[in-house]
Amino acid sequence: MQRHLILEDGTVFQGLGFGAPATTFGEIIFHTAMTGYQEIITDPIYDGQMIVFAMPVVGAAGIHAEAYESVKPTIRGMIVHDLAEVSVNRQRRMNLDRFLKQHNIPGLYQVDTRQLIRHLRETGPQKATIVDYADEHAVDQLVATVLTNKQVQNTATPKPYANPGRGRHIVVIDFGLKHGILRMLGDYDANVSVLPYTATVEEVLTLDPDGIILSTGPGDPRTLPESVLTLIRVLQTKVPMLGIGLGHELFAMANDAELMPLPSEHHGMNHPIQEIISQQIFYAMQGQGYAVDETTINRKKLFVTYRDLVDGAVQGLRHREFPAFSVQFFPDAAPGPLEATAVFADFFETVEDYVEHYNQY
Amino acid sequence: MSNITINTNIKKLLFIGAGANDFGREAEHDAAIYQVMPELRGHGIDVFVIDENPYALSLESLAATSFWQPLTVDNIKMIIQANQIDTVVPLFGGEASLRIWAEVVQSWSHGDGALPNTLGLSIDMLLKVNNIPAMTAFMADNGLPVIKNYVLKAQDEANELLRTLQLPLMVRALHPNQTNTRHIIERLDDFEAAIHLAKSQSVTQEVILSRAINGLKEVSLEVLRDVRGNKMQIGASEDMDPIGIHTADSLSVSPILTIQDQLISRMRDYAFRVADMLQLQGIMHVQFAVDDDTDKIYIIKVSPYIDQMASRMALATGYPTMLVAMNLAMGVPLEAIVLPHNFGPQAAMMEPMMDHVVVKLPVFPFGELAETGIHVNRQLNSVQKSVGSTLGFGRTFIEALEKAIRSAHFNNASFSPTNMAHINDDELIQQLIHPQDNRVLLLIEAIKRGYEIDELAELTAIDEFFFHQLQHLHQLESEIEADADSITSLKRGKKYGLSDGLLARFWHTDFKIIRTLAQTNKIEVTYKAVEPSAGEFPENARQYYATFESENESMQVAEDAILVIGSGAFRMGDAASGGYATTITMSELHRLQHPTIIMNNNPSDATLLPHLADKQYLEPLEISDVMKVVELEQPKTIIIPGNRRKLIRALRELGQQVVILPKEKHTPGGPDENESEFALNLFFDGEEVYPINITQHMAGEMRVIAPVNAMPSTLTFTALENPGVYQIIWYERTVLWRQAVDFTRIQEASWLRPMPFGQIAFLTKAMCVEWLRLTIRAALHELTAQDRTLLANVHDWVIPEPIAIVAADVNYRLHLQPSEVIDGTRFEIGVSVSDYGRS
Repeated sequence: MQRHLILEDGTVFQGLGFGAPATTFGEIIFHTAMTGYQEIITDPIYDGQMIVFAMPVVGAAGIHAEAYESVKPTIRGMIVHDLAEVSVNRQRRMNLDRFLKQHNIPGLYQVDTRQLIRHLRETGPQKATIVDYADEHAVDQLVATVLTNKQVQNTATPKPYANPGRGRHIVVIDFGLKHGILRMLGDYDANVSVLPYTATVEEVLTLDPDGIILSTGPGDPRTLPESVLTLIRVLQTKVPMLGIGLGHELFAMANDAELMPLPSEHHGMNHPIQEIISQQIFYAMQGQGYAVDETTINRKKLFVTYRDLVDGAVQGLRHREFPAFSVQFFPDAAPGPLEATAVFADFFETVEDYVEHYNQY
Repeated sequence: MSNITINTNIKKLLFIGAGANDFGREAEHDAAIYQVMPELRGHGIDVFVIDENPYALSLESLAATSFWQPLTVDNIKMIIQANQIDTVVPLFGGEASLRIWAEVVQSWSHGDGALPNTLGLSIDMLLKVNNIPAMTAFMADNGLPVIKNYVLKAQDEANELLRTLQLPLMVRALHPNQTNTRHIIERLDDFEAAIHLAKSQSVTQEVILSRAINGLKEVSLEVLRDVRGNKMQIGASEDMDPIGIHTADSLSVSPILTIQDQLISRMRDYAFRVADMLQLQGIMHVQFAVDDDTDKIYIIKVSPYIDQMASRMALATGYPTMLVAMNLAMGVPLEAIVLPHNFGPQAAMMEPMMDHVVVKLPVFPFGELAETGIHVNRQLNSVQKSVGSTLGFGRTFIEALEKAIRSAHFNNASFSPTNMAHINDDELIQQLIHPQDNRVLLLIEAIKRGYEIDELAELTAIDEFFFHQLQHLHQLESEIEADADSITSLKRGKKYGLSDGLLARFWHTDFKIIRTLAQTNKIEVTYKAVEPSAGEFPENARQYYATFESENESMQVAEDAILVIGSGAFRMGDAASGGYATTITMSELHRLQHPTIIMNNNPSDATLLPHLADKQYLEPLEISDVMKVVELEQPKTIIIPGNRRKLIRALRELGQQVVILPKEKHTPGGPDENESEFALNLFFDGEEVYPINITQHMAGEMRVIAPVNAMPSTLTFTALENPGVYQIIWYERTVLWRQAVDFTRIQEASWLRPMPFGQIAFLTKAMCVEWLRLTIRAALHELTAQDRTLLANVHDWVIPEPIAIVAADVNYRLHLQPSEVIDGTRFEIGVSVSDYGRS
């Protein structure tokens, strides 16, 4: 069935509907990754957003049990050029189309996605809606719609839970955690406790963690309560800490740095990222609408550890005093290049060091 | 600022070319060398090149000192010593050149002086890469997933081993003497013969035996590594056909569509680890077998050099592959690579992304052979049978597939949609299990007859995705066929890449009617750029492909541009000559400072090198495809090979100015065993005819034998129309090389024809006269006074050194199992030079 995508600036794209026949509103962004569509659409960082894929054919790898980044996807729409109907599910015929239907997410295909991406790279992200008819009413609706800024609240766990293991005890503060982080911690057989981002210092320290991870998450971190920053400020002095994505942005803010919105959001895995100390270049999944404004970094507290060589954006920070560091990119490689997982090795080295010498901390 | 350590000791650098074309070796190496040589020259390096292939463009480059000589250890040593070569680059010449360089290194003795530095790989690693069991063991020791190899010498050792191993098995030669082929044994009966054959291909009479992994997916990754150990992935493709069918004979798709990220990431990681193990500085192609039911991956081949995958990926993504690979080999880190201005500032470091699909289709020689009554084994297996390939670009798999089919089989009725109707069900099943060259049509036929996708996927080991796609295509075609002259159907058909010609066949009409129908209903083609950021950044693209979308990105490049129509894939008989002629044409247009546009679809020659044209259309070459480009670009002139008669006529009807590169439709010809073909060679500049010389051609070899002191007065040339090189042919029953020729015979059994491009390449190199460039200049009325003096005097030139071209030693029996001996003179794949006068 013919459906339409309307952008806030009035541009209309025509396509065929797939997934749910729902009408939705969301912020539209584009993604240039050529693999990992299932991980991307289930990643909570895209809560409330519509994703345009540059990858020309999407769906041909099926939907895999091991490729969920959250059990329930919360994106508002998926726009692709060509849709494939492959199922690898042994129990049900579960292809991308049915998957989106099941989760009430609309999709649009046979769209000139290259034109749309070339348009969005100029305008930056904007509000958009997927509708049956692109009439004035739909445009008015879109203009009048106020998108939520409560994405973290929507996706983060309200209650603590455990992912037990026999190794080091890692507390994950959940801002919209993706499975990839838990999977990586599983590789280290970590004993994981996931706490809501509203947890108190007391609640975290009572668990006596060997390390703390500030998870990835969706949206603008500046909308989160000040208490989160206070929590980070206290915890970073006590236990090794790794911030990822939104967690990195919060870590920077807790240490006086400010964020700036990127002119055009960056979602993909092909930018060279350089580790400054070794000058090594590697690639990682990136998904960011904000970056740490380097001019606001307090050099007495933080220094830059990684940089995106394409746009120069800060990709990692480390605290000068405490065993705390953070990365903007996603080192869980879900999806994305495995070389980025070295960050977890770094983290566990720090954790081991802490466990061995904790009384010096 | 980074502290960059570029190797500044390189002063005189030698490229070792790949040699004659063969199965699996087209012009990709020569194209790569040809592309990077001027860049090296620009850095003040003296560049040298040796190759034996008369089609080698690098031998004609102004950027290098060239040696057209057989690729032997002695010749290479001699060049090194005579020119104080300090650096050798074997990696650009691929596997063959790596092997010969390894031989040179191993035979280098103290008295030979200092051994030049090898770029890209250390000598240790170079030797390891050449030894399959050693390389496999090396990878296994480093924890990489490989399949265990057993090396054996005697048949009874093999029989012994057979008890412990399960069929199917793969047999290869250790230290192969020339071609390295893999044989899959599925039945015990074939075991002995396969071992015997592999032994005969081995220098040491040794054979490698390993478990065959037929039925798994075959995947290729192309990666780079720099001097600092930085690695990146610059391309990936998956084969539709499973392991068991040679990757060159398989339909391949880029990007990888059917494999999930986690497996691809693991393959990438393995490839990076291999690059680190080899301490590679440069480019590498790694082939994998993937079982996506069990998530098992095996590394099956490592090729740390330029090959067809490298050139195909460069074209498919728009990434500056060859320039970057050269920089890496020289020791320039990724971060410090400076690219020509038409690339973005970080282009070298950004992994290329694709927002289009590229399908590669192999081109087989069966049709050409069948026309002359030679029948070959058409069943596809682990030994390569294809001689060329074409690419189709589209926004969907079907569109790309349709365009690749059109490119591979233009004017070929065997790809008509009803072609398969005659085949019975038993044959169909047989061919599904034992696929032949026509398998795409066969798969569609199976779908037509109602086979379930699950069944087909099981039977063929092809991913269900491809069957869904073909089913979709079949539905589309049936709906279109039933809905003649409908605008909606026309629009749908166009969107999925069906050509005017194919639609016309469905609707029993002429392609011109379809064209008009599309035009009047504003169903307009749109061109999209092929650029490596997939739309993320503003691009400065020169490469485009056609599709039917909303936005068109291609604008007329210049009002006075010249459009060159390429000659598509390598085919048996024409061999590399079409690509050679097209490339020289473009290079000449560039020198004459004409804005140039090229249309072509062959990934394995130099015609689509980025610097040769102001714009490229990566398109099929059917009339309707060409017409669309002509409408948009409004070229001043169009240059077309003379064998495209219908196209020439159609363009002239439209009032286009056409320049014809004289060329005949290929017909197998040439002397038989007991005779010689003589040619009086001529140049026609549009007004006058200039004699060049006499050549004699015996089966397998051709020489220049005599100047032409006087033209027979009886000859007239009223039939000549287009400037170019021509020849008058006659045959004599002789197998002795002549010193002089009796002209009086010419009147009797003579024949005037355009000189085949292959012979033009030969004469150009033998005489150091650039005949194709002269042809272009004459056709554009740009001959210089110097040219005219040369032409007036060329008839009494004596070739300074005796030189001949010989048919290359192509093993047809191995690849094609023909019903009778295939004569390399009539069916050319590769040609080499012979310096018979020296020995």
